[in-house]
Amino acid sequence: MMLGKHTDLIARPRPRSHKWFRGEGWTALFFLLPGLIGIVLFLVLPILASIVLSFTNWQLLGSPRFVGISNYVRLFTTDPQFWTVLRNTLFFTVEYLVLNIIISLGLATWISSLKFGQRWFRVIFFLPTFTPLIAVAMVWMLIFTSGGLFDSLMASLSVPLAGVLNDRTLAMQAVVLTSIWAGVGYNTVLFNAALDMVPSTYLEAARIDGATAWDRFWKIRLPLISPTLFFGTVMTAITSLQVFDQIYVMTKGGPGSSTATLGYAIYQRGFQNFQMGYASAIAWVMFALIMALTALQFWFQRKWVHYDA
Amino acid sequence: MKRSLIFAAALAASALAGIDARAQDAPVTLTWQMWGQPNDAELWQQLADLVTEQYPDIRVKLQLSGWADYWTRLPVLAASGEIADIISMQSMRLPNFYSILAPLDDYVKGGDVKVADFETSIMSGLSQDGSLYALPYDVGPWMVFYNRDKFAAAGLKEPAKDWTFDDFKANAKALTKDGTYGYGTQAFDFIAGPVALGADYFNDDSEFDLTNAGFVGAFSKYADLTAQDKLSPVFASAADASAASGRFASGNVAMYIDGPWSLITGQANVNFKIGIAPLPRGSGPSRFITAGSGWGISATSQHKDAAFKALQVLTGPKAAEILGSAGRALPARLAQQTAWYDGAAKNVAGTRDTLEYMFAHTTPFRINDKWNQFENLVMQYVPLALTGDTKPDVVLSDIQSQLP
Repeated sequence: MMLGKHTDLIARPRPRSHKWFRGEGWTALFFLLPGLIGIVLFLVLPILASIVLSFTNWQLLGSPRFVGISNYVRLFTTDPQFWTVLRNTLFFTVEYLVLNIIISLGLATWISSLKFGQRWFRVIFFLPTFTPLIAVAMVWMLIFTSGGLFDSLMASLSVPLAGVLNDRTLAMQAVVLTSIWAGVGYNTVLFNAALDMVPSTYLEAARIDGATAWDRFWKIRLPLISPTLFFGTVMTAITSLQVFDQIYVMTKGGPGSSTATLGYAIYQRGFQNFQMGYASAIAWVMFALIMALTALQFWFQRKWVHYDA
Repeated sequence: MKRSLIFAAALAASALAGIDARAQDAPVTLTWQMWGQPNDAELWQQLADLVTEQYPDIRVKLQLSGWADYWTRLPVLAASGEIADIISMQSMRLPNFYSILAPLDDYVKGGDVKVADFETSIMSGLSQDGSLYALPYDVGPWMVFYNRDKFAAAGLKEPAKDWTFDDFKANAKALTKDGTYGYGTQAFDFIAGPVALGADYFNDDSEFDLTNAGFVGAFSKYADLTAQDKLSPVFASAADASAASGRFASGNVAMYIDGPWSLITGQANVNFKIGIAPLPRGSGPSRFITAGSGWGISATSQHKDAAFKALQVLTGPKAAEILGSAGRALPARLAQQTAWYDGAAKNVAGTRDTLEYMFAHTTPFRINDKWNQFENLVMQYVPLALTGDTKPDVVLSDIQSQLP
């Protein structure tokens, strides 16, 4: 009897969808609905809409007209700004990423070596992470503004540095510094937690075998936290490719276009110049760039990330 | 007993209202989108109440949002069909937004509005391709605000109405000393300033032509005040567009360029006497651009006739007097400007004289739909000309190359 039923099923395979929505499938769907509706309405649809928009000349007012790939053609061939913006974004990402990882790893290692007050230092370095970035950037803008705290500090040290936000090269450095201050705490706590998870037996064994602190760091602790290091690197790279808040508050992309990044260019084209179609095209280029760089990092991780701890 | 009395009264009132409504049109509620601070609400509400006073069937419901939010909300509301019946519009933003407004020409012809009652430059500022899209409530030219006390201390004569750029520069030089500057430059100076010197940023087809010799020359004159002569601090690309007013109030700069809309708050913030002068002219006669704001009717409004009635009250003489004497606006209605001169400007000697001179020498403020983009680029690029990093003509060609 039972067997007959089974063969019956095998003999007449039903469409897969039926199988999904039987019994618990419906229940699962029902419980997923609130999240699913939210994701479809506020994530999937806008993403699809922005693909469509990137092929139109929508100006926010009036109806959009289909223009094919001309937004993309203009972006890569005639827009005098695009390559500058792309270069700025990559420059910011590389500098910020390298500095952030080095500083946060250094801080994490230092904190984990402390005998007392580890918890306090973790809290102190984590504080900027839950401070709104706009507020942080406002304060740093006031510090760097001409005649501000930074200028008078430099003057009292007789360093000829003033008005950094009005300087083509230094403005970006001010933005990087602000970002580091705001962003280093997250990675510090992350790496610190990973370092504390390294089994002390490995380190003791190495010490008995005569490994120096330097060797223990490079050959034992770093390989053991490499999965966390990889996670931190990927996430930091993604957020720094999207940098916007600091630029918006501190420089508005200036002076000239020396700090204009992709994120800021999207805002400027879309919401200041009302070129929604063009802004959508830039957003998709940014998306492709982030995808490609993240894929590249995943490919590279085989060379340096060890999951066999 | 008491309750039944109230009930009876309410019944009677509603019956009365009913009769009233039948006598005229059905009562309508118009929405009115306006920008402003929360504490401005009372003033605008006063204007909305004026409408109901004159037309008991029309109620105007005020929707207030902050200045910056207003311009982000407007296109979004228009795109989603949620836009108000009465829309506030600034002359410099009209080329971007006129398509959401209904042309007013036929209403003006059929109504009691007399175009000649309004200052002419702002009427053309609120027109696009020859059609009027909003009725103005305020107007003002860009002009020089100066610190009268500092002028007296430096032994300088007060500026003449037709002073030249060289006079301006000489004054700025004399006022630059002891860590304070003669002049505080801002982004918009590089638009209003060159125009006053006789230069044009457009060609004849209203397209940007920033690299013409006249504009480059006039722009360079203003840039060099900071880059060469160090008569002004540099503004940053992310600076507040009105950063110089703060420096002026603290006594850090002696002159800066602003509009009459700032005079009332400006006076409240300073402990010295303010003077105002026209923008300096070049070798030719003076010419000034003005800006202002007004109210129009949404192209999709269901109550356009009622909205125009409301509009006539909102921009009428009584409303203009309220706004003028409160100091909120220099009225676009010429006859009511006195309210502002006697109110907001009563402690600033010579205001009426100066402004009447300027209104007599206005030139059309030409803009196109790339104007917003242009202003942002000026903000972003001009600091390079002020620090001396880049030559003014290169800055202008950089900006020009980004304006399609």
